[in-house]
Amino acid sequence: MARCSICGKRAVYISRALAKGYCKKHFLEYFDRKVRRTIRKYRMFSEKETIIVAVSGGKDSLALLHYLVKLSKRVPGWTIKALLVDEGIRGYRETTIKDFLRVAGELGVEYRIVRFRDELGYTLDEIIEIGRRKKLPYHPCSYCGVFRRYLLNKAAREMGGTVIATAHNLDDVIQTYLMNIVKNSWEKIVRLGPVSGVTGHPRFVRKVKPFYEILEKESALYAVLNNLYPKFVECPYAQQSMRWYLRKHINKLEEMYPGTKYSMLRSLLRIIQLLEDKTDKIIEGEIRSCRICGEPASHDLCRACTYRLELGIMDENGNIIRDIDTGASGNQLSR
Amino acid sequence: MTVIVRIIDTDKIWQLTGVSGKTIREILKSIGLIIEEYVISRNGEIVSEDEIVGEDDYITLYPVVSGG
Repeated sequence: MARCSICGKRAVYISRALAKGYCKKHFLEYFDRKVRRTIRKYRMFSEKETIIVAVSGGKDSLALLHYLVKLSKRVPGWTIKALLVDEGIRGYRETTIKDFLRVAGELGVEYRIVRFRDELGYTLDEIIEIGRRKKLPYHPCSYCGVFRRYLLNKAAREMGGTVIATAHNLDDVIQTYLMNIVKNSWEKIVRLGPVSGVTGHPRFVRKVKPFYEILEKESALYAVLNNLYPKFVECPYAQQSMRWYLRKHINKLEEMYPGTKYSMLRSLLRIIQLLEDKTDKIIEGEIRSCRICGEPASHDLCRACTYRLELGIMDENGNIIRDIDTGASGNQLSR
Repeated sequence: MTVIVRIIDTDKIWQLTGVSGKTIREILKSIGLIIEEYVISRNGEIVSEDEIVGEDDYITLYPVVSGG
């Protein structure tokens, strides 16, 4: 029987990288210590904050919401609110919303759900079909990522948020790091730190990642042990992404060489540090305001408006163009 | 005796014989699963992958990879 290195009880978690075992009680203490250290080290929150937790209904974001709500009981100046962006992915998002509502109810946390369909005029499924028909070169995850970040920032600001907390864990971060090495996207790598965000734009809400040093397995275990683990469903688009392949390979590497993931995170932090004073050369131009929507943009238009114009779902004045045929059940959209 | 391994909420299920005395780590490896990707429950109790499997154990796996 594998035992807890602290008390000798049956272990629920073994860290081969740290050569330690933890029982339930000591795993939860280890988890709490690790997250609090990350929050402190990177100065994620001040004493007075309205923290908007970005949730999907997946285990990581439910774990983060649960964790921060508990932590906030000890910090009188904190208000926690949850924000879920519903892209409209049939057969996927409905399930995770149910899990989110259950946990939000149990925690008694204030929340808001914003929908692609309401804000952009179309669901992600419809957007992907429009993009395919127009032969646009974008991957489903590109539309999803751009529009999700856009709506997250906008809605968080409207909710009075002073900071957005996302549930990105160590695995997510190093996968993104590798993807951007492959794509030679150093401007994205310098933004992969635990605290990100363009601070110079009045419409930008700062983003933090309290689970930056937490392994995906640890956040899943936290969710299981706290009865938060949602019904397991996979995004139908996920397997089309490079991330999906990289994740498998990194996990196999970790199994063969324990500590690989921590080492990759250190590599990322080091490169961000080395690149910091060269940021001007890596990120071109100043931060601006989008000519159409006024949101932060690195060019004349923000990415969300660029995509919407290319898709033909919005005009130059920012008005939604409705009733585009996406071929979904017959000629017109069934929504 | 049969040991059953199932990935929760899916129809992925294995019925294994002759595995008593092996660790969960060894069993998962033998059916081609990556240990890093699952939280493990045995007969309803969360355990580590270094546990030794007993007769008629029911192993439930919780995928740790996020759905998307």
